[in-house]
This record gives sequence, C-alpha cells and structure tokens, in this order.
Amino acid sequence: MIAFLLLGALALVGAVVTVAARNAVHAALGLVGTLLSVAGLFASLSASFLAAVQVIVYAGAILVLFLFVIMLLNAHQPVTGRDPVPFVRELAGIGGVILAGALAVIAFSYRDPQPLAQGTAALRGGTAGAVGETLLTRFLLPFEAVSVLLLVAIVGAVALVRRPAPQPDGVTDAEGVALPGELPERTAPEGGVRA
Amino acid sequence: MDPAPTTYYVALSGLLFAIGMMGVLTRRTAIMMFLSVELMLNAANLALVAFARSWGDLAGQTAVFIVMTLAAAEVAIGLAIIVAIFRQRETTNVDVLATLKG
Repeated sequence: MIAFLLLGALALVGAVVTVAARNAVHAALGLVGTLLSVAGLFASLSASFLAAVQVIVYAGAILVLFLFVIMLLNAHQPVTGRDPVPFVRELAGIGGVILAGALAVIAFSYRDPQPLAQGTAALRGGTAGAVGETLLTRFLLPFEAVSVLLLVAIVGAVALVRRPAPQPDGVTDAEGVALPGELPERTAPEGGVRA
Repeated sequence: MDPAPTTYYVALSGLLFAIGMMGVLTRRTAIMMFLSVELMLNAANLALVAFARSWGDLAGQTAVFIVMTLAAAEVAIGLAIIVAIFRQRETTNVDVLATLKG
C-alpha cells in the first residue's frame, strides 16, 4: 500500500511535468519518471516481466528515440503564438476533470470478482514463462499479426526519412538550391549518415 | 501489509489518462502531443494489469505486452513522420500544419 502511494504520487508528478513543462526535454524526462513509476506499479501487481519490459522498451528505447528527435529538430524551445481556439486550456481543464471524475466513479464502483490473493496466485508472478505461455497459445494470432506490423513499421520508418533521390541532371543540387525535401544547410554526401 | 485494492490502481490510471488528454488538447507541437499520447497509453496499460490481477487472468498482461509493441511501432512511424514534416516545413506546430496539401 505504501509502495502504491509513493509510486502513484511519483507517476502523477511525472505526468504533470510531461504535460505542463515548457521545455520538451523536461517533458520527456518527466515522462521517464512516470514510466519508471508505472514499471514499479506493474511489479507491485505481480507483473514482473512487464515491469522489466516497461523499463527496457519504454524508458529505454522509446524515450531515447523521443529525446533524439527533440534534440535533432531543436524543438525544445516552447512554441510562441496564440492558441487558435479560444479558451482551449480552460476547456481542456474542464474536460479532463470531468473525464477523471467519470473514470473515478467507474473505478470505485468496481468490485473484485474473487479475493485478491487468489487472483495474484493465478498470475504465477507474471514471469516471462507465464506470459509467454499465454502469448503463444491464446494470443497466437495477435502475436503473429504484431510481427507483421513491426516489419511494416520498420519499412515505413525507413521509407519516410529517406531523402529523395538526386535528379539525374543534377541541376538543383549543383546550384546549391535545396530540394524541397531536404534541409538547406545539409551538406552530408549522399549515402552518408542521416537522421 | 495489505496490497492496494484494484480500485486505487484504476483510479490512478484514470487520473493519468485525464492528464494525458489535457496534454493532447493544450500542447501545440506534434512531439508534445505524442508524449501525452504515450502517457495515455501507459494509463490504459496500468488499468489492464490491475484488472489482470483482479481476475487472476494472464490475458490482461499479455494484452499489455502487445500494446507495448504497438506503441513502439507507432512511435517509430510517428517520429519519422514528424522528422519528414520538419524537413519540409521547419516546424512541428500543428496549427501551422493544418493543411492536407503536401
């Protein structure tokens, strides 16, 4: 219970930092705090494998990718300018409070179908073996579908960040005029390391 | 030591989800909206794991594993799109990007 309160408070603080920080790097670091706290909550829910995966995949891979892009695009300074929708912050605040209230009402009307100790025992600690057994029996089709999806995502990401091939006549490149698809200051040779 | 009841976990998940939704609605850059969406995904994952313990069924945890895979694929594609847009427009402000023309 104490672990839940501590980790839950940390997760909430991280979430608020994520949403409210003016600097995108600070927001990403706040999200790291939330993700690690949620990993701890997973461990307290006897989902040890998921806790490890949460740290490795989310806090490790995904957030590093985010920080990479934030720094690459130099996007860490806040956007200035007026909101095009009037009162968007107030409306979002009201909507968020209503949503949180509705979800809390649902949460506190929930009754466990069996004693918690019984459910915890049935999870077998949520180890890699237990989760993998479920994944490869009851979830075999989603598992295979996800593998195809990952392949599509890899190909799509590579295709998206690929710069357009240079024109055969080389007119635009030779005169130093940027092609529409590339940054003007980019001077790396074709085939070099790119984002 | 009593374990925390399922309702507390689900309520915390709802709070995180609402905070993430406020972030999506108020932030103006695509990256920040993306970060908030990740927050909402995590809130949903937390609820799934809490219900998995409540029902003593590993299906919830397995679903979370698949959701994490989807999130990884989504981030890879989404950030690639953001990088491609930034190369073309020099901005990731979604208000400036409110046109479908390439």
